[in-house]
Amino acid sequence: MSTDLVLSPGLPVEIGRIEKELGKLWEESGDSKTRASLINLAIYTESAEAVAKNTDLIAQIASEHACRAILIYANRTAPERGAKAWINAHCHAAGKREICSEQITFQLDGDSPSALTNVVFAHLDSDLPLCLWWQAPFPDHVDSRLWSWIDRLIFDSNMWAEPTKQFARVRQFANTRTVLCDLNWTRLLSLRQGLAQFFDNACALPCLCEIDRVEITHAPGSRISALLLLGWLASQLDWKLDSVLGRHSFRASDQREVAFELIEKPGAIISECRLTAGPAKFCLERDKGQEFFHARMEGGPFEAKSQLLPAHRGRITDTLLVELGRGGKHPLYAKALDLIEPLIP
Amino acid sequence: MPTSSATPDNPLREGLLSRSVPEPCSLVIFGATGDLNHRKLIPALYNLAADGNLPPSISVVGFARREKTDEQFRTELETAARKFSRQKINDELWSNFASSIFYHRSEFNDLSGYESLARRLDELDAQRGTRGNRLFYLSVGPDQFPIILENLRKSGLNKANDGSWARVIVEKPFGTDLPSAIELNSTVREVFNEADTYRIDHYLGKETAQNIMVLRFANAIFEQLWNARYVHHVQITASEPLGVGGRAGYYDKSGAMRDMVQNHLLQLLTLTAMEPPTDLSADAIRDEKVKVLRSLRRISGADVAKYTVRAQYTAGSVNGEDVLGYLQEENMPAGSQTETYVALEVNVDNWRWAGVPFFIRVGKRLPKGATEIALHFKSVPPVLFHQTGQTIDDNVLVIRIQPDEGVSLRMSAKLPGSSLRIEPVKMDFHYGTSFGKATPEAYERLLLDAMAGDATLFARRDEVEEAWKFVDAIRAAWDSGEGGPLATYSAGTWGPDEADALVNRSGATWRRL
Repeated sequence: MSTDLVLSPGLPVEIGRIEKELGKLWEESGDSKTRASLINLAIYTESAEAVAKNTDLIAQIASEHACRAILIYANRTAPERGAKAWINAHCHAAGKREICSEQITFQLDGDSPSALTNVVFAHLDSDLPLCLWWQAPFPDHVDSRLWSWIDRLIFDSNMWAEPTKQFARVRQFANTRTVLCDLNWTRLLSLRQGLAQFFDNACALPCLCEIDRVEITHAPGSRISALLLLGWLASQLDWKLDSVLGRHSFRASDQREVAFELIEKPGAIISECRLTAGPAKFCLERDKGQEFFHARMEGGPFEAKSQLLPAHRGRITDTLLVELGRGGKHPLYAKALDLIEPLIP
Repeated sequence: MPTSSATPDNPLREGLLSRSVPEPCSLVIFGATGDLNHRKLIPALYNLAADGNLPPSISVVGFARREKTDEQFRTELETAARKFSRQKINDELWSNFASSIFYHRSEFNDLSGYESLARRLDELDAQRGTRGNRLFYLSVGPDQFPIILENLRKSGLNKANDGSWARVIVEKPFGTDLPSAIELNSTVREVFNEADTYRIDHYLGKETAQNIMVLRFANAIFEQLWNARYVHHVQITASEPLGVGGRAGYYDKSGAMRDMVQNHLLQLLTLTAMEPPTDLSADAIRDEKVKVLRSLRRISGADVAKYTVRAQYTAGSVNGEDVLGYLQEENMPAGSQTETYVALEVNVDNWRWAGVPFFIRVGKRLPKGATEIALHFKSVPPVLFHQTGQTIDDNVLVIRIQPDEGVSLRMSAKLPGSSLRIEPVKMDFHYGTSFGKATPEAYERLLLDAMAGDATLFARRDEVEEAWKFVDAIRAAWDSGEGGPLATYSAGTWGPDEADALVNRSGATWRRL
């Protein structure tokens, strides 16, 4: 339920004096603090409770990825329109100095898309990319003036209540300059790297053309993650979705059937991914809380191997840091999404 | 910089920023009980494992003279890794990684030790699937290179089976002069092809050294100004507060010229002065670097006294502590004439750099440690603000290699107020400020590249030999006395007065770091 902020996310300021007050903040700190910024990181939420969590998250992000953070809490159900602002700084020690990132927090009362556009436009650190993390359902209609400014649109499809509807809305950005950054896709990075690594082995590479079964074990509520991983495999290996009497499988270009099974089990978001190619088996397995996958390959025209590979750490901060640190576009995401769209619940 | 791929046709690699993992291999480290292995190589390998960049099958075989078991060796290395690794050691991962480490005891000159090594590597190939791929790392003094290489050849370890590879990594110094470098290169070449020879200069593995090319060729604004028309002079500095410590024996034979200038400093100079390569392949880049080395105006005979300064530190104070002079250091030969400081004026005689002096300085027991490249731009025409009696500092672009890696640009700005006063201000980019996470150590990148067969960041034979030609001419004059006397400077100062005079005559002064 939306409400006023209980905990203050910094020093309250008049909106028209934000830049001046930020300036004062730095003047008062003398030479001991250095302001740094690589990006504008705007976060939009409609949950009052999320403001404190986001402030904490920004503090952690800023220690590795200096930014100007603009946190917007849209209190859309408030009876009257209005806006409040707070400023603060997140500093961490770097030698004798402290490196600081600024955070400006807004509470926007009432439903006013133009106010949202204005606060973002008015408080950007110029010439730096704008990354907007949208933590709410996407609206039916978007303000094109705002959205055309976004360099990277961040969202987390694992959090969506209505994924089909939300993916459809996200697709309106597909042909724009905005890079779509689904944190659910980012989480799969270590899995994708681990699976790719099996087939860096030249002896195992031919098995890619013989895969006949995929099993992915996912946590309850994380079916979209499993589907995205499946979609990635299918798009990279040129499989097409095949549906017979409501039963889905993939069909490879050589007409081979590739069966798949998504298994729900408490644990890591994706706790296991197993590929079978005739007698050859490739498996990434992870216990909850473990920082590593156990990677095993066996039964094929290669030496059986097992190895520990780094796994995604699971914290949202880590996911966001990976996303911000990677840059670039995600062309494979759209391809993967295309293939699994009929399977999205 | 390009990366090679073990299986470029792997469609699952598309879009992944991480490179393909190298093929399985055995890495044999000669001198495995030494400092480099403990402080750098093993921590680098562990970090590669933690980042998922090592091949699933790898064997790390330490080759050294001391008697010890695999388990003792692993325990020693674990202690070192816990101390020196940039990432915290994860017990499970270390245990997994340590199971790939083995120890092989032998004298370097004992052929039977190599024959037994060959048998052991064959066994490891069979047990661990390392497929006969071998990477030999010579982490030993250069005097040991010939005997190790010879025994590798005699035992057949230099020859790979079909579909496999055998490579060698050679640590600097690559010889002590041109004849010894040619001899060493020939010795290496008798045993390994040039394409399989990786001469490591860890400066090239540093992120900031790699960033020089990105800064120059990925930013339109800099490359336009990167020439004699706009640049007045260039300063390349590598200073360190440390003395020779326990390396007196090595250092006194080497000196700053051989230890630093011939390799690290000239590498930085080539990256700064080179033309854009045709592509990012190893040879395209190294071709351009060699052209720079060939364009260096040779300094010889009487010119050496004019264009070079060599000096030795005397007792002084560093970081608030009194320190001994070079000659008083432990195990130092009496009356040593070895230089601990070198300053050079180098001219690159090509179209781009004609008339632009490159000043190089390197020294021990200087006030602080820093390595950087500074481009000092020419002055603006003295026709506008100069009329008001203002002194306008020149623009300086500084690339800081270490520590505090980054780039800064000095420019002039008006001081606020009703009168016109101009002061220099600095725009400063710090890697550490902008990118908070720890960057990989140079050895991580270089080991991975050598396993993957990417030689871009390694020195090629002709680079090494061209650098020695340049250095040898200077050393010859120093040794004959024609190059002027050895100057002295107090420890904790920025070098001798003669070095100041060297730059002053070009209208420059050394940067205050």
